[in-house]
Amino acid sequence: MSTTAVRTQPPAAAPDVEWGMPSKLIAAFSGTVGRVVKLVLLSLVNAIVVWAAIILAQESKWPALVVLAAATAAIDAAYLSKRAVPLKFLIPGTIFLVAFQAIPIAYTVNVAFQEYSVGHIITKTEAIQAIEENSLAEPADGKIYTMTPATDASGGLVLLLIDDQSGKTFLGTREGLEPLPKDALTVDETGLITGARDYKILQGEQLAAVDTELSDYVVPVQGAAIRAEGLGTALELEPTLRYDATANTFTRIDNGKVFRDNGKGSFVAGAEELEPGWRTYTGFRNFSSIATDPLIRKPFIRVLIWTIAFATLTVLASFFVGLFLAIVLDKPTMRLRKLYRALIFLPFAIPAFLVLLIWAGLLNDDFGVVNQVFHLHIPWLFDPWWAKVSVILVGVWMTVPYFFLVSMGALQSIPSELVEAARVDGAGPLQVFRKITLPLLLVAVTPLLIASFAFNFNDFGKIYLLTGGGPPAEDQSIAGATDILISYTYKLAFESGKGANFGLAAALSIVIFFVVASISAVTFWRSRTLEEMR
Amino acid sequence: MKSTWRITALVTALAATALAAVAGSASARPAEAGKTAATTIRIWTDGDRKAAVDAVAGRWAASRGVNVEVVLKQFGNIRSDLSTVSADTAPDVILGAHDWTGELAAGGLVVPLTLKATAKAQLPGYTLDAFSYGTGVKRLYGTPVVVENIGLVVNTKLARVPTSFANLEKQALTFKRKRSGNLAIAVQQGSGGDAYHMYPFFSGLGGYVFGRTKAGTLNPKDIGLKAPRFLTNTPLVDRWNKEGLINSKIDGATAETAFLKGKAAFWVTGPWNIDKIRKANIRFKVVQVPSIKYRSAPFLGVNGFMVTKFAGQHGVQSFAKDLVTGYFATSSAQLTLSKANNRYPANTEAGKKVTDTALKQFGAASVGGVPMPNIPQMGSVWSELGGAWVKSTKGAGATKARTAFTVAARNIASKIG
Repeated sequence: MSTTAVRTQPPAAAPDVEWGMPSKLIAAFSGTVGRVVKLVLLSLVNAIVVWAAIILAQESKWPALVVLAAATAAIDAAYLSKRAVPLKFLIPGTIFLVAFQAIPIAYTVNVAFQEYSVGHIITKTEAIQAIEENSLAEPADGKIYTMTPATDASGGLVLLLIDDQSGKTFLGTREGLEPLPKDALTVDETGLITGARDYKILQGEQLAAVDTELSDYVVPVQGAAIRAEGLGTALELEPTLRYDATANTFTRIDNGKVFRDNGKGSFVAGAEELEPGWRTYTGFRNFSSIATDPLIRKPFIRVLIWTIAFATLTVLASFFVGLFLAIVLDKPTMRLRKLYRALIFLPFAIPAFLVLLIWAGLLNDDFGVVNQVFHLHIPWLFDPWWAKVSVILVGVWMTVPYFFLVSMGALQSIPSELVEAARVDGAGPLQVFRKITLPLLLVAVTPLLIASFAFNFNDFGKIYLLTGGGPPAEDQSIAGATDILISYTYKLAFESGKGANFGLAAALSIVIFFVVASISAVTFWRSRTLEEMR
Repeated sequence: MKSTWRITALVTALAATALAAVAGSASARPAEAGKTAATTIRIWTDGDRKAAVDAVAGRWAASRGVNVEVVLKQFGNIRSDLSTVSADTAPDVILGAHDWTGELAAGGLVVPLTLKATAKAQLPGYTLDAFSYGTGVKRLYGTPVVVENIGLVVNTKLARVPTSFANLEKQALTFKRKRSGNLAIAVQQGSGGDAYHMYPFFSGLGGYVFGRTKAGTLNPKDIGLKAPRFLTNTPLVDRWNKEGLINSKIDGATAETAFLKGKAAFWVTGPWNIDKIRKANIRFKVVQVPSIKYRSAPFLGVNGFMVTKFAGQHGVQSFAKDLVTGYFATSSAQLTLSKANNRYPANTEAGKKVTDTALKQFGAASVGGVPMPNIPQMGSVWSELGGAWVKSTKGAGATKARTAFTVAARNIASKIG
């Protein structure tokens, strides 16, 4: 009954509906096609997971393997079940959120609590080994040998040696050095050993197989030891430091000086430090050094004030110039309107680093185009105050197109009835702008202003490429006149002490995050009042 | 409904297993292959020298019966990436600059080496010292391969080769006054400063960066920017600034354009610009900047090969050391490598075979040069030393040189900590 009813009465509106592209796509992918696509994609995901699982298992990373298996099972279940429709849309976003937001943040926080800098990169075990190796010294009358690795009758590794000075031949084993009759070895005209009577000389892959054994090989001789250096040389080296594993200390052999683990990734004795150190957790030390280090503390407030001023002025000036241009070019009757718009948009289309390098050249005091064309003598980049002006001007030049576009869009979304109503009520153009257009515009634009502020606050490239933080400021500190927090952080973390200090950099960037976040939060909170007005 | 679910699950499982098998076998292959195929030494090098390293290391590899894999890197990234690279893709051997030695050795990323007496005899002592580091025991961490330095390039059509610094000053200033837009000495600084290009003037006035301890290692506590023998000569800097001999507003591009267009007769630059000068059809001669109060020694940059700690983890340390200390030290290898980007070879035997006139002149201009300090504390010096020159030679309103350099010395001391 019902089936016939449906057949006889097709939905009358159906032929008239113009289905949009998205709807057509959805229709095409529902049913069998969609299921197949879904299965293929899901199988691919599973295949990648299995491949990743094999690698994780090989490296014995069991917790990661468990997480991976659980996550995959959850994803498969979500997409294979008919329920959990919202979840199907949420999963891809969540994966990207974890991969590109959560993990980098967790990593930064993790690094902030570590001593991780030049000299503190490797693990403690590696560091102990490296200290031992770096402290080997050539004794004053140490001998150097031409060496050839070989195996004896039982297949054990031995070293065939010729003393470079005396030309005497020796056999080096783990037991010690013993003389070898000259005729036991065949030596070619360049001094290389090419054959041996009782030993088998190792070559190519045979050598590769004993490489590790060879680099640890020690032939004890009185006081020192002969070690292989590469494949053709061996030499006497004596240790100058001795590691005591139970006490966890190094002792200098000639004067008995004891180097202790200082808990910050180094063995130290007084002011003397053994290199290399290792990467280790040091709690809040990086944060406390931000508060206590005079290098950081002294110019901090000045740099912070300038950073806020720089970001605020750049954003506000760009916004008002962009808005002004958008209003001016809003007249549909204007000729060449599209050309003007394209021209205004142009700076946005040029790569930022190129713009900055060009501006750095244009603003050169003596040789720059700006001063030459206008016959000016303004020290754009060499005077602390003018450099600040230059940075903001260039920033505005680069940001105006963005706010021009945004304002243009936002202006069109303001209902024209409101403006007309205001006009009818007798408001002048300025009044309309102040009371109607601007408040409505701000509702839409404020989040963008805040985002732009946060971006400028941390715009390292602008400062680094335009002024390099320079010129030097009046207080003669390390922070230059145009250094913002992030570029100053770079100077502190990568151009002072022994060079790169990742731990300190991470700690400073967390501090900067809190500064930006609190400023943004306050602004957002205040902008709510605007929205309520609407 | 239930049955569709099951079929779906089954198909997925099957597909996943099939793909996994393919992927699994693909990932397993290199691991198995590693055991049977030849041992591979991985080398990081820059673009300019990739082909030369390929050729030289290839010859060595053939003689040793192993493989080399030469990986192209941006030169500066070799230094920074070495501390963050994962062990399985890490290099066994790197091409590096000598001033990275301290940072890499202090980080335990490169291993000490020993050169044979025969190899040492052919390498100038300062090149070996440039790659040596250690606060306790000083050891060698690289085999020097090429040396580079800046010199005073004179356009011989516009000026004569200066006989003394006073003569240079006179000629340069006369040339500058001839026409507006002319530069006296084209030496690059810019608002960020350039301590490297200004070093001949700095050392000529008696300045140095770090002094040495009794044991002969560089001492980061002895900062030569405030050395009395230098500070007494700083009034000369103020004079140069006043007469416009040196102007910090000249940046790299300005200096280059001016010299190539005949608007400067003197250019302080290095062998990397030889080709450009030749293309501009300029007749030139390269000399050392004439001595001022002391020899105007340039900074020397030595490039060479180092063995990383990863070579040991990959089980190829002996091979890597053999390549670096044995093969790369030979004169034939060094000549090939030095020709790749037209630099002067470190090996003296190879040095005799250099035929390029300009390169030979740059080699002669290096006499008495100072290798850039290779201790990691050097990172605290560059911007401050450059900044002191910028402040004291920016023309009107410049800081007194004595003040500028004293402040820079204080800042360096506080940065080093």
